[in-house]
Amino acid sequence: MSKAKILVVDDDPDLVRALRLRLRANNYDVTTASDGYAAIAQAQKERPALIILDLGLPVGDGFVVLDRLQTSDALSGVPVIVLSARDPQTNEERALKAGAAAFFQKPADNEELMNVIRVSLGTEAASPPHTAAWPS
Amino acid sequence: MDRQTTNVLLIEDNPGDADLVRLRLVEGASPVNVSCVNRLSDGLASLTRETPSVVLLDLNLPDSRGAETFRRVMEHSPNVPVVVLSGQDDEALAMKALHQGVQDYLVKGDISSKHLERAIRYAVERQGLARALEIAQKQQIDFKNQFLSHVSHELRTPLTCIHQYVSLLLDGLAGTLAPEQTDHLKTIFKSVNQLHAMIRDLLEATRAESGKMRIEPRCVALGELVQQAVAMLRPTADEKKIGLEIGVDQRLRLVHADPDRVLEVLINLVDNAIKFTPAEGSVMVQASLVEADPGFVYLSVSDTGRGIGPEAKALIFERLYQDPDSVDNNRSGLGLGLFICREIVRLHGGRIWVSSELGQGSTFTFTLPVYSLAKLLAPVISYEGRLRPDFVLVKVELTPLSNPPRGNWKETWQECAEILRHCVYLDKDLVLPPMGTSGTTETLFVLASTDLQRAGIMATRIREQLERVESLKTKCRVNITTRPVELPLPGPDESLDQQIQTVADHVTQLILASRQIHAGARNGAQTSN
Repeated sequence: MSKAKILVVDDDPDLVRALRLRLRANNYDVTTASDGYAAIAQAQKERPALIILDLGLPVGDGFVVLDRLQTSDALSGVPVIVLSARDPQTNEERALKAGAAAFFQKPADNEELMNVIRVSLGTEAASPPHTAAWPS
Repeated sequence: MDRQTTNVLLIEDNPGDADLVRLRLVEGASPVNVSCVNRLSDGLASLTRETPSVVLLDLNLPDSRGAETFRRVMEHSPNVPVVVLSGQDDEALAMKALHQGVQDYLVKGDISSKHLERAIRYAVERQGLARALEIAQKQQIDFKNQFLSHVSHELRTPLTCIHQYVSLLLDGLAGTLAPEQTDHLKTIFKSVNQLHAMIRDLLEATRAESGKMRIEPRCVALGELVQQAVAMLRPTADEKKIGLEIGVDQRLRLVHADPDRVLEVLINLVDNAIKFTPAEGSVMVQASLVEADPGFVYLSVSDTGRGIGPEAKALIFERLYQDPDSVDNNRSGLGLGLFICREIVRLHGGRIWVSSELGQGSTFTFTLPVYSLAKLLAPVISYEGRLRPDFVLVKVELTPLSNPPRGNWKETWQECAEILRHCVYLDKDLVLPPMGTSGTTETLFVLASTDLQRAGIMATRIREQLERVESLKTKCRVNITTRPVELPLPGPDESLDQQIQTVADHVTQLILASRQIHAGARNGAQTSN
């Protein structure tokens, strides 16, 4: 099975490099973009299986990107995980409404992030079996 | 300013007084426009249409009297200066009026035209100054809050970078590390997390100050939250050899609270207690009912630490308070934790306080409002002044197919709750408030006033309706079970209210017991991983 490709969109090159290293170590292919415009172009060209998206971006912020992705037939099915330093109280719901699959505030816990990536790609381990019962 | 026309709204019901005031105003040197109404309601209507320079207000009107009159005018138009024209020389009432923001209090008999003119001019000026000051203060607070929220956002960017690279190194993704290197990196990582917590607190305190802190209260089983908080801090306590115990009153009912925020308060208090308790000491978390205060549940965290002096006790919940005697002062944080706790508790309508003596340990206590299931059930489970004969509890469990759940889990279960509401008879069945803690199995309960057989039909109907939602199949598994609520026979002189309370208590116990099994299953699953 070929590796799933992930598009990382962030304007901080140092962070992009760190994420690339971590994602590669987790057996993903990584492609990157550093602004909103490039993100759309890259997504159209590379057809990633998943996108990690910052919100504060030059040339079209994260919400613009989310909007473009949602209105594109080819890309609307691609899960987007928002990874932003912005306040979740004012941005999380908005991002989820705009079509994001999850919202992480920076700095995010890597294990949780990798877990959500697996879930979004549908490659996670099955959850434990159902064991509910009434008390006797 | 002097030559500008002053528009006066005179609210006065006595035609003689009104004419006199009008005359005094017209006699004055500056141009004046007077419109007069004789009822408060007409005055308020006029204020809705247009804003006068000043309101001259008689207090005793046909539709309002005394202090109530100026209170209502100022509530309606807080930015219009009000001068009271009163028939009585009542100093106490005058002071009350001034304290509530009335600009002047004049006694009708004493008014000369010059006097009145000046009073109006000063009232307008004073109101303007007060307003300008208010605006400036608000701008300052807004600016400060904006600044803090900007700073905390900007600080996160480099912090994220440090966090990422340190964790890359620690996870061995950049080569193998010598034990000493790992050790140093762990120290860096710990400091990064502390810094992260400080930034979070800074933002949270800013929110609390500007009234933007939000809570989403719901029906919560408190015992679960206590267990969750204790489980999270158990390793810290073990490391310091501190006993960490729980005491939850078995009679405990449900509370109306935001589970995430209450967990935050509990974690903060327990973490503090561990921090300030020497090794071999103990920390106790209790949830109890106090007979004298039945509307609230009391949560307390006690420690065997060195206690808090009276001075510190008075200040400890204030913003930026730091214990001057703290041994590890360099790592005590920003001093915002307890301030944030207090604000969270306050938003819930509860109280928080500390009782302590130096050398004797401390107990932090806070209260949360009880969720009255009885009140919710009353109209549904009784009919014509009597309890309905049969009750069945229908349990609908929604277990996410993945951890974390796919998509917006809250939206998913809320949609299911809505479907449930369409499957019941509104006059005799009730969909109980959802009680899940974020991101895990959500259990919805329906209390149906019916027998087991009919409840079974209802369960089938619910299943069919839920199965119609295509998107649900990819997100969660649905399990529906029914169980009769077995009640003791009511005593001969038990009132309907008491019987309703009995049903509510039984239902609460059933719900809590069923959830405990769940929590157990979850914890078991976690440890086996």
